[in-house]
Amino acid sequence: MSAHTTSMRDALYEAPGPKTRRRTVIGTVVSLVLLAVAIFFIIRQFYITDQFNERYWSFLLEWSTWRFLLEGLWGTIQVAIMSGIISMALGLLLMLGRIGQNKIVSGICHVLTDLFRSLPSLLLIYFFFLVIPKYGIRMPSFWMLTIPISLAASGVLAEVFRAGVNAVPKGQTEAAMSIGLTHGKIVRKIILPQALRIVIPSLVSQLVVVVKDTTVAYVVSFPDLMQNTRVLISNYDALVSMYFVVAIIYILINYAINQLSIYLAHRSGNKIVTRTSENPV
Amino acid sequence: MGVGEVVAEFGGVYVSSLLSTWLMTIVCFAGGLALGVLVTIMRVSPIKPLRVVGDFYVQVFRNIPTISLLVIFVYALPYLGLLLDYRTCLIVCIILVVASFASENFMSGINAIGVGQIEAARSVGLSFSQIVRLIVIPQALRTTVLPMTNLLIATLLTTAIGSQVPLTPPELTGMVNYVNARSVAGISAFVVSAICYAGTALLLGFLGNKLDKKVRIVR
Repeated sequence: MSAHTTSMRDALYEAPGPKTRRRTVIGTVVSLVLLAVAIFFIIRQFYITDQFNERYWSFLLEWSTWRFLLEGLWGTIQVAIMSGIISMALGLLLMLGRIGQNKIVSGICHVLTDLFRSLPSLLLIYFFFLVIPKYGIRMPSFWMLTIPISLAASGVLAEVFRAGVNAVPKGQTEAAMSIGLTHGKIVRKIILPQALRIVIPSLVSQLVVVVKDTTVAYVVSFPDLMQNTRVLISNYDALVSMYFVVAIIYILINYAINQLSIYLAHRSGNKIVTRTSENPV
Repeated sequence: MGVGEVVAEFGGVYVSSLLSTWLMTIVCFAGGLALGVLVTIMRVSPIKPLRVVGDFYVQVFRNIPTISLLVIFVYALPYLGLLLDYRTCLIVCIILVVASFASENFMSGINAIGVGQIEAARSVGLSFSQIVRLIVIPQALRTTVLPMTNLLIATLLTTAIGSQVPLTPPELTGMVNYVNARSVAGISAFVVSAICYAGTALLLGFLGNKLDKKVRIVR
């Protein structure tokens, strides 16, 4: 994590004396041995169940496998980026409606924000997959996936934007009012430009949630990374290796996004607002 | 079919699926907190390998999509000689993921205390265990009430992946499937589940906010 974490971790301990140092060394050795034993047993389990057999792994050396996976990844990226854009626009609208002066609009936006934040994206996906078609509306699988993911994310993003607006000092609004700017002008020219800059790292970190949500694309049979993995599994009969490989790919993508957001936050000196750090519903 | 008819016909199943969702949320959250405490202890321990393993654990499980973890548990582990029933797979997966976020919350709770307090405590002669017991844990717990409330709500929403494996009774998201397979409920089945989720989340958020106001440390 950041340097800050390390400093607090280390601050808990005094400079160790000879006895403590010895104990730390013993603890280190014991934990290393335990770790080695655990890794050994995992590898052994792979070995005795024959999961290291070449036929489960050799196809991963072929370009066609990776091309197919990359096609899936492209699908994932398309859904993630489109959902990111839509949810940002929608989240911004919901937030602007909520802080606006019209009481009715503000109430509606408040309710919608809380509603979208408190529904699982899967439930929304089922709504678009099972319910909407019953009313005679046909849409491609891309949108059956993208719209519900965007809706679920927009609720959280609305709160992220609101946190950004709240982070702009109150004095600025008062100063703007005193020189006679209207509410709309204050929001447009004073608050938003600063608030948006503040929430950039949080927006990036929210992409992780969107990428995670795309993994249920197989529900609507959209060819994303996970869906293409399933196809490869049935082609090569290599379930264990494929599911582990694809899990690692997802972890690396999300790790990269998280690190980018930490970097941006660090550079701009802003905090990352996430689902767990905002106010609860 | 209206909402009233859906409730009349499937009311009993809905109640058991709501209870199933609640129970799963409670079990997963409690398990996640317990494991999260363990991981956090590893991460703040002076023993380097434990720190590395703790950090690694958090990075893996906060970044893996829960569905990806679930398919590993349900489909891949049996090949490796570990066969668990669906509900166990589901609960273990969610606990693993929740623990990583819980540990992150604990860590930021600890970090919020500030090095100065630890130094002050040491200079008045408190021992290590006193520092942890009297200074670190009380403050860390109080600052994590709000994030943990959000994590509890997130756990509630994560249990929706239970709809991806056969469960009896189904949980709230699986219910939409269940009802749709047996009647032409249309939007009503969805509305009932949505109300249950939103109502639960609202209640949890309200309680969490109340608790937070009581124990919050104003810095």
